[in-house]
Amino acid sequence: MRFFDCNAFFGLPTHRPLLPVATAEMLLAEMDRAGIERALVWHIAQHDASPQVGNQLLADAIRSQPRLVGCWTVLPNQAHEFPPPKELFQQMRQARIGALRIFPNAHHFLADAVSLGELLAPMVTRRVPLFLSVRRGMDWASLYALLRDFPDLVCVLCDHGCWGEDRRFRPLLERYPNVYIDTAQYLLDGGLESLVADYGAGRLLFGSGFPESYFGGMMLALRHARIPDQAKAVIGAGNLERILAEEEL
Amino acid sequence: MISESALAREFWEMGKSVTCPIYDMHGHMGVWHSIYFPRPEAADMIRTMDECGVRLLVFSHHMALFAPDLGNTLAVEAVRQHPGRLRAYCAVNPNYPERLAADLETFEAHRDVYVGFKFLPDYHRIPLSDRRNKPAWEYANDRGLLVLTHTWGGSPFDGPAIVRDMAELYPRVKLLLGHSFHDDWDAAVALARDYPNVYLELTAVFDDRGPLEKFVAEVGSERLLFGTDLPWFDPHQAVGALLSAAISDEDRHNICHRNAEKLLAPFLGKSVQ
Repeated sequence: MRFFDCNAFFGLPTHRPLLPVATAEMLLAEMDRAGIERALVWHIAQHDASPQVGNQLLADAIRSQPRLVGCWTVLPNQAHEFPPPKELFQQMRQARIGALRIFPNAHHFLADAVSLGELLAPMVTRRVPLFLSVRRGMDWASLYALLRDFPDLVCVLCDHGCWGEDRRFRPLLERYPNVYIDTAQYLLDGGLESLVADYGAGRLLFGSGFPESYFGGMMLALRHARIPDQAKAVIGAGNLERILAEEEL
Repeated sequence: MISESALAREFWEMGKSVTCPIYDMHGHMGVWHSIYFPRPEAADMIRTMDECGVRLLVFSHHMALFAPDLGNTLAVEAVRQHPGRLRAYCAVNPNYPERLAADLETFEAHRDVYVGFKFLPDYHRIPLSDRRNKPAWEYANDRGLLVLTHTWGGSPFDGPAIVRDMAELYPRVKLLLGHSFHDDWDAAVALARDYPNVYLELTAVFDDRGPLEKFVAEVGSERLLFGTDLPWFDPHQAVGALLSAAISDEDRHNICHRNAEKLLAPFLGKSVQ
């Protein structure tokens, strides 16, 4: 069984965790131990310190690591803190960055068309995936509003929590065909099976939440879920590979 | 394959282990208002347990915790339908002390069902130390019963200071700290070190990377207990985390079954194989 983790980071957080994973090399060593083939990764400094500084740290760290694909963080661009979209996408292609993240709460902006329309419109056209972390402050009302404005956005909702969020994310899966859910923190017994039965295996991506969660928790849950092997294969790796192959940077 | 160990290989291939059965010391049962459960009832849960190698689940029914009209009746029925796989905590809701009095009066008649009591102070909004809980504590202390209480770091109802008082006052109770003061791992370590009757229960801890290694290093795996909140969390996720942690298979055996087997020995007849 192959695993392409859509949700892992490295780097030293501002507040020291129990088991920090400082470098891409340390991340890869843990991936080898667990049996993770590839990962879409970001650097914690993108959230904790500065998107621009973190993005550069990430690009430098993955340059010589072909098993790692990057996920940069972006901001609204009214203050010209980033290059325009066309140039940004070109930089992403050159740095092997396959997706983008936003952290509206931590970075003090609203995730809507007024703030982000200039970037999100071409992201929709080019099918560039946007990762949104509920754990890191993306609230559900904002998510709903964002998808109302950009219903065709390729969007991965991650870290949505372990205390029962199906009633919040299932309406989005029903309404918007390009919305995906990652498995990090989706600990619900029978949850994977229920989602696959209702929406198909194509809407779930394996995500670990590493290094805040272990790789092995959702690996074992997926391995022994009551779903067909083909469903496990696309959740484990195939869906993310398809999403990245479909984007046009 | 998660990690290089005999148990990891076995769980990866089979989904369960012949040599490492699991005693899940923190379960629930039934539907509840704030979450969709695909598998909330006893038969569903036992199928999950079979697939994951869970030999026994000790639980408190959601209705016993949240629907005083029903109390512990559904839990009693479930255990008596599945005596080889289930035991219950008698759930205490101190908002209704008269229900607790009735449960205590009939506790002896339910010794085939109960192993002790369950408290949920954060949800009932009454501190663990409140006088309305006292009859249950004294009953449990007199008889050396298990008490599983929800605990959470920083809570005014079941945080470290209050729970420490309970451990001090009731030394014959086997005190299981549900969620191990989640996020206040140092407090969990301190309490377990100071009181030999305190055990750290790991529900929701399995979703955090680091506390397992810390607990094993600073407390020892002999004081840790497996738990999942089933039907909330998939036991395979918990096992996968346990196999990922940088601890030994001996530690995993302690956490999955040896510690629970010792704690439960006085309460289990030959019905649990």
